[in-house]
Amino acid sequence: MKISSMNYLFRQGIKNIWTNRIMSVASFCILMVSLLLIGFTSLFIANINSFVGSIENKNEVILFLKDDVTDSDIEQIGVKLNNMDNISEVVFYSKEEAFEEIKKGIENSDELFSYVGEESPLPDSYRVKVEELDTMGSTLMEVRRLNGIDSINAPNDFVSILTDLKKIISIISAVILVSLIIVSLVIISNAERASVDIRKREIAIMKYVGATNAFIKIPFFVEGMTLGILAGGVAAVITIFGYSELASMLMGETTILTAMGISGLISLDEIMWPLVGAYVAIGALISAIGTVMCTRKYVKV
Amino acid sequence: MVELRNVSVTYSNGVDALNDVSLKINDGEFVFVVGKSGAGKSTLIRLLLKEITPSKGRINVNGFDLKRLKKTRAYKLRRTIGFVFQDFKLIDSMDVFDNIAFVLRCTDSSERYIAKRVPYVIKLVGLTEKAHSRPSELSGGEQQRVAIARALVNDPQLIIADEPTGNLDPALSTEIVELLQAINKCGTTVLMVTHEHDLVKNFGGRTISLQDGRVIFDDYLIGDRN
Repeated sequence: MKISSMNYLFRQGIKNIWTNRIMSVASFCILMVSLLLIGFTSLFIANINSFVGSIENKNEVILFLKDDVTDSDIEQIGVKLNNMDNISEVVFYSKEEAFEEIKKGIENSDELFSYVGEESPLPDSYRVKVEELDTMGSTLMEVRRLNGIDSINAPNDFVSILTDLKKIISIISAVILVSLIIVSLVIISNAERASVDIRKREIAIMKYVGATNAFIKIPFFVEGMTLGILAGGVAAVITIFGYSELASMLMGETTILTAMGISGLISLDEIMWPLVGAYVAIGALISAIGTVMCTRKYVKV
Repeated sequence: MVELRNVSVTYSNGVDALNDVSLKINDGEFVFVVGKSGAGKSTLIRLLLKEITPSKGRINVNGFDLKRLKKTRAYKLRRTIGFVFQDFKLIDSMDVFDNIAFVLRCTDSSERYIAKRVPYVIKLVGLTEKAHSRPSELSGGEQQRVAIARALVNDPQLIIADEPTGNLDPALSTEIVELLQAINKCGTTVLMVTHEHDLVKNFGGRTISLQDGRVIFDDYLIGDRN
C-alpha cells in the first residue's frame, strides 16, 4: 500500500471520529472511566501487595530450643534452618542474650531478677523470617520435626487473616478487572458498529470497486485506536493527579497509616511512566480487539 | 468476457435461484438481461462479482476462473468490473469529483493520476460544470451519470449496470442507456440488468431473458429506434 493511501486511510479514520462524534464522545468517556477504574483497581492491588509485603518482611518466628541441646545440636539446627527454602534471616539468640535483652527493657532489673541468680532462666532460641506466608504452616511443621526444637512462637492468626485477605482481594480485583475489560470491549465494539452503520454506503461501494479488506478496515482501526489512546492518555493524567493527591492526603502526620508505621503508598515517581505506558497500551489494545470484533462481524467484504 | 457453464445456485433456504444456466458474453458486447422479480437477475450479478459461489457449474469473468479465485482475492476481479447501482449509491458528504475519485483512492491510485483521470471521466459524462456539486444538488439523471462515471473511472473491462434506470423517468432512462451505449462503443463490455421491457424494445440488441432461474431467451432484437 502506498504512503499516500495510508495517509488517506488515516485521515478517513480521524474523520470518522468527527462524523460519528456523539458516539465517539460517549465511547471515549466510558472507555476513560473504565480505564480509570482498571487503573485505580490495579494501583489498589499493587499497594495492598506492597503493604502485605512490608508486613511479611516484619514477621518473625521464634523457635525455642530444648534445655538439653548441645552446642553441636544448635549448630546443626542452624544449618538445617538455613537450608530450608521458605526461611530467611536465621539468627541465633543464646539464653544469655535473651536474658540481657529483657533486663535492658526493665528498670531496676538487677534487683528484680536477683532471686533468679546470674544464670538465664530463658531457653536458647532461633529467630527466623518466613518468606511466603501462604506456606508458613507446612514450613513450621518441617521445623517442628527438627531435633532439639521445644516450641514455636509464630503469629499464626495474623498470618492466616493476612493470607485470606490477600486471596479475597486478588479474586475480587481479578473479577473487577475482567468485567471492566469486557465492558470496555463491548463499548468500543458498539461505537465501531455505529461507525460501520454510518459508512454502510461507502463500504458497499468500496467492496464493489475492489478495495482490499485491509483498505476497508484500516479507518475503523484508526478511529478505535485513536479513541483508545486518547482515553488512555487522559485517564493516565487524571490518575497521576488523583494518586498524588491521595498519597499526600493519606500520608499526613495524623493518619492511621502513619500511626501503623507503614512506609507509605508506592511512590508516584516509581510508577508514573509505566502507568502512562500501561494506560495507553491497554486503551489501544482494548480498542484494537473491539474493532476486530466489530469488523469481523459487520464488515463483510 | 463472461462465460457461465451449467451454473446452478440453490440458497440455504432451498430456493433454486439459477438452474443450469449457460451463456457467453464476448468482449465489447452490449447485453440487456431482463426478467421479472425472482427471475435470477440479482443472483446472476452476485455470481459475477463473486459475492456468492454457485452450487454447480463454472464461471469465467474477465479471465478469472471464479471457482479457483479465493474470496480474499475477489478484489482483483472487482477491479476489472465497473458497477452501477439502481439507487446510485453516491456519498453525499463528497462532491462529484471526490465521489468518482473515491474508486481510484480505494484501488491505491496516485493523487497525480486521480487529478488527471477524474476530470476526463467527468467530461465524458458531461458534468464538468457540476464537478464540485454535492450529489443532493443534482437531478436523478445527473446523479446516475456520476454513478456511471464512477463505474468507468478505473477503466474496467466490463460494466454491470443493475437497473440503472429504475429510479428515472423515461426521457432520462433513454439518456442513460445512450450514455452506456457510447461507453460500449469505446470497447467496454456492458451488461445492463433491467425489468423495463419498453426500454429494451426501444433500443434492441442482444437480450437475455431469465425466468424462474432459467434462460428462456437469448437473441438479438431489432429496436424500435432502428
